[in-house]
Amino acid sequence: MAQPLLELDNVSKAFGGLQCISHLDIDVKEGEIVSVIGPNGAGKTTLFNLITGMYRPDSGDIRLDGESIVGLAPNKITNRGVARTFQTLRLFLNMSVKENVMAATYGRTHASLFESILRLPRARREERESNEVAQEKLSFFGQRLMGYRWNQPAYSLSYANRRRLEIARATATKPRILLLDEPAAGMNPVETHEITELIAELRKQGGYTILVIEHDMHVVEGISDRVVALDHGVKIAEGTFEQVATDPRVVEAYLGTAETERK
Amino acid sequence: MSEQTPQPERSGPAIGADEWVARSGERARQRTGIVGRVQELYERVPKPAVFAFVVLLAVLVPLVTAQTDNDIYFLRVGTVALVFALLALGLNVAVGFAGLLDLGYIAYYGIGAYGYAFLSSDKFGIHWQAWLVLPLVVAVSALLGLLLALPSRRLVGDYLAIVTLFFGQIFYIIATQGYRISFLGLNEDLGFDRANWDLTGGPNGIANVDRLGVFGLEASSERAYFYITLTAVVVVFAVLTLANRSRTGRAWRALNDDTLAAQAMSMPVNWLKLLAVGVGAAVAALAGTINAALLQGAFPDDYNTQVLIIIYAMVILGGAGSLAGAVLGAFVVSVLMLEGLRPQTPIGDFTGNGRWVFYATILVVLVAAIRPWRRLAAILAGIVAFGVVVHAMVAVTTDRGTDGLLNMGPDEYSGGGPLGWLIRHWLALPAGTYELGSRNWFNFALVGLIALVLCLTVVKGWKRDALIVPTVWLAGFVWETRLAQETSGPTRFLLLGALLVGLMIARPQGLLGRPRVEIV
Amino acid sequence: MLGVLAYFQDFQLTWSYFFDQLVAGLTLGSLYGLIAIGYSMVYGILKLLNFAHGEVFMIGSYIGYFVLTWLGGAADPSIPVAATIALMFLAAMLGAGALGVVIERFAYRPLREKRASRIAPLISALGVSFFLQQLAVLLFGSAPKQYDAFAFDGGSLFTSVTIGPFRIQYMQLFVIVTTVCLMAALTVFIARTQVGRAMRATSFDLEAASMMGINVDRVIVVTFFIGSVLAGAAGVMNGLIFQNVNPYVGFQVGLIAFTAAVVGGIGSIPGAMLGGLAIGLGRSFSIGYVSSSYQDVIVFVILIAFLLLRPSGLFGTPAPQKV
Repeated sequence: MAQPLLELDNVSKAFGGLQCISHLDIDVKEGEIVSVIGPNGAGKTTLFNLITGMYRPDSGDIRLDGESIVGLAPNKITNRGVARTFQTLRLFLNMSVKENVMAATYGRTHASLFESILRLPRARREERESNEVAQEKLSFFGQRLMGYRWNQPAYSLSYANRRRLEIARATATKPRILLLDEPAAGMNPVETHEITELIAELRKQGGYTILVIEHDMHVVEGISDRVVALDHGVKIAEGTFEQVATDPRVVEAYLGTAETERK
Repeated sequence: MSEQTPQPERSGPAIGADEWVARSGERARQRTGIVGRVQELYERVPKPAVFAFVVLLAVLVPLVTAQTDNDIYFLRVGTVALVFALLALGLNVAVGFAGLLDLGYIAYYGIGAYGYAFLSSDKFGIHWQAWLVLPLVVAVSALLGLLLALPSRRLVGDYLAIVTLFFGQIFYIIATQGYRISFLGLNEDLGFDRANWDLTGGPNGIANVDRLGVFGLEASSERAYFYITLTAVVVVFAVLTLANRSRTGRAWRALNDDTLAAQAMSMPVNWLKLLAVGVGAAVAALAGTINAALLQGAFPDDYNTQVLIIIYAMVILGGAGSLAGAVLGAFVVSVLMLEGLRPQTPIGDFTGNGRWVFYATILVVLVAAIRPWRRLAAILAGIVAFGVVVHAMVAVTTDRGTDGLLNMGPDEYSGGGPLGWLIRHWLALPAGTYELGSRNWFNFALVGLIALVLCLTVVKGWKRDALIVPTVWLAGFVWETRLAQETSGPTRFLLLGALLVGLMIARPQGLLGRPRVEIV
Repeated sequence: MLGVLAYFQDFQLTWSYFFDQLVAGLTLGSLYGLIAIGYSMVYGILKLLNFAHGEVFMIGSYIGYFVLTWLGGAADPSIPVAATIALMFLAAMLGAGALGVVIERFAYRPLREKRASRIAPLISALGVSFFLQQLAVLLFGSAPKQYDAFAFDGGSLFTSVTIGPFRIQYMQLFVIVTTVCLMAALTVFIARTQVGRAMRATSFDLEAASMMGINVDRVIVVTFFIGSVLAGAAGVMNGLIFQNVNPYVGFQVGLIAFTAAVVGGIGSIPGAMLGGLAIGLGRSFSIGYVSSSYQDVIVFVILIAFLLLRPSGLFGTPAPQKV
């Protein structure tokens, strides 16, 4: 196998005295779906923030396709093919569903403001393309985000639809690797089941490599090629779902032991 | 909700169903009183039609007016309103689209004016043609906008606000103090002739600025300036509409909603912020150039913080984010508040020095805010009755308070016709408050009025209704005792300040803006 | 180069002149620091740039003036000088504090309850600031009101103590000492009392604090009150030093004080004080050695330099953005 698509090499990050991530190594190969699990505060979202450039690691290196992306601005990293969704849902609430997705094509389009105002050919072409991208990404979810919802502001969407729109928006940046932060959080069992299938479908149709944070073990079991378990910023287990789920350290991290009450 | 595919066509409310929930925003937006209904109507008409109609109307205005003094005055008011419309449009880019508080905006307006004055006046003996100066000044101003936003680029919007506010202040200082610049005593060494080098003309500004001209053709009539400014407004309006629809415009609105998410979605937020400030600066400089040519001069007091507040009030009143709103806001504020309250002008005479504007606004607010109409009628009757009773009671105890003040001003321009007669018999005005040094009645009444208005925002139900009555009466009292006399000065700024606060609390979307949702 | 040296007058190159500027700068800095604390505290808790704070300072200054006038003026006060000054401070501090609370209650709280956009409170603050400024013009007139503090006790307050080249007026000493006392009181209040603890918790995380049973609204009211009280004290000091008060002084001084808060690291109380001193000294030396017209330009340059080189200020810690 060639070099991994995404490579975290001995990455550490601390806030004040709190070590959120310490000496973490993770590899994600092209086409893989890797789940990151761990109890609350294990450093999962911090991990995403480090990869996407929102935080800068204190030490270590993060490489995409062999090239270091440490120190790049988040938008530059996104342009290189890393897109994410947010656990807390950060849509552009006052923009329409379509515009949310179209806005995310910013990095793929290049018409200057000047060209747009004069409606020069490149601007018109790109606008058309962005529109098509929006159509394509939104139709991935069937009728849910199509039709009358197309022009509705994002704040009018239901919770589940917002999660879907987040995914559609992320895919519109043309990513190679997709970071999904708890895509099934707050969803009912049926929707959760749907998300599980959807993530597999994303890889099949879009060819994305996917790194996903998830709490729901059914989802993790259903989608993952590989699972990484974190606790207090340290990788405590890695392997197939079976291996990780039965690892005593993982069980301990989640449930605690008789002597050390952790959670 | 997701077992079966939702039926987009299903009609009628079904609680919990996706579409009904989805449309709740629209329903909530309906029925927001009279302003809301007008807005609804307005939204039904296709936008280009409205645009064409308004432009056509504006084009016709100077044609139907003959060249009497009055008409020239009206035309000038129109031109000034158009300059403000231009300014409001430009400010809307940073404030409305990108959600940045650009408080140095006024400086770019000034830079446009002074830039034009430097290059086209006797000041330095340079008389460049407008077509040369205009692009240069606009470009320099835009560049300065970019540069100024640079230090605050990594920071939250609040730092941008303070840096730009300070910058506006610095511009004003340089404009007023820049007539005695000394380079640490090195003037002669550096090739300047005097110990105190004059750049800006100080408080007197720069006079005798050239009129706008192209290839020997000079715009000298009021009409010409009206059309030049109108053209500028139409062009800027169109340009900004297209910009708003472009990828850049989408990105601006995205970073207004969520800067961090915008950056994660591949948008270079720092550059976009700079660009928004820069585009606004360019428009402001254009307005400044026109203003300098229109006034044939650049004077520092046209570019101070008070003017900035005026422009902000226009944008906020019209509805931040809405270009049509910016233009509407500019016209409402500049015609009603700036001209309508100015005494001894045709519009001022027409509005009774703002008296009509003042009472009509109170009435409109009451009508818009109170329903059903029975309650409104009761309150209005109460207001009238209250005034008449107070008047009668005062008349019994002292004759000094009953026929006070409407004619007591230094000039006889406040008789006020039938409205004046009504007000005289409704209010009880103490004599002599116009006289200098006896501000007591007014001061107590004004503070009392503010207290009453603040109370109004707290109490509910019948208590509020009852409280409205004395509040309106006291408002009339305060207006007639002094505010009406100070309309060209503090009064309008006081009202503008109150307008900003009131709008933010009661209707942050302004007249034509769309209500925004922050966190749900 | 000779030109530059020639530019300075002989007296400008003496130590005593230098110390004069230093003392004037410290006095001015105390004033700015006191106002800056109000900005910083409110920003720390609400992330709100309270433009109206400068106007609170201005109103405080007016209250001091009216108390002084009511007591018969500086030349012939009806009660002892010390009591007069104490009363002026007391009234200005309480009045300004009340005004701050009213502003918070009516202009900011409704916006907080409506979860308005980020920019709305700023515009509201701008409106309040402008409103108060023009209100002062209407109520008190736009001409400056004279404190006439030179007349206190036959002018003895403005005589100086001299130690070698070092010279300080009693009034300057009084301002600096009063500021130090107020600072000490504030520090103790925040460190030791229950409310102070609640304030620190709230500024750390408003939502978490409210979930922990802290009455956030009350904490905010207290914050506005304390900040405004200090601004009121600064208002009287300003009147005593500069002899007069006008409706526009709040805007000008407020802007500079806010810069001081930014330079010190917004949200940090010792930072605000230190930032105030830095700006005060910068202004004073630029008046003394460069030009009195461009003191604000110097302050602006300091601000820009800080934003470029150390955006979190002297005392601020770069807070990680929450994602």
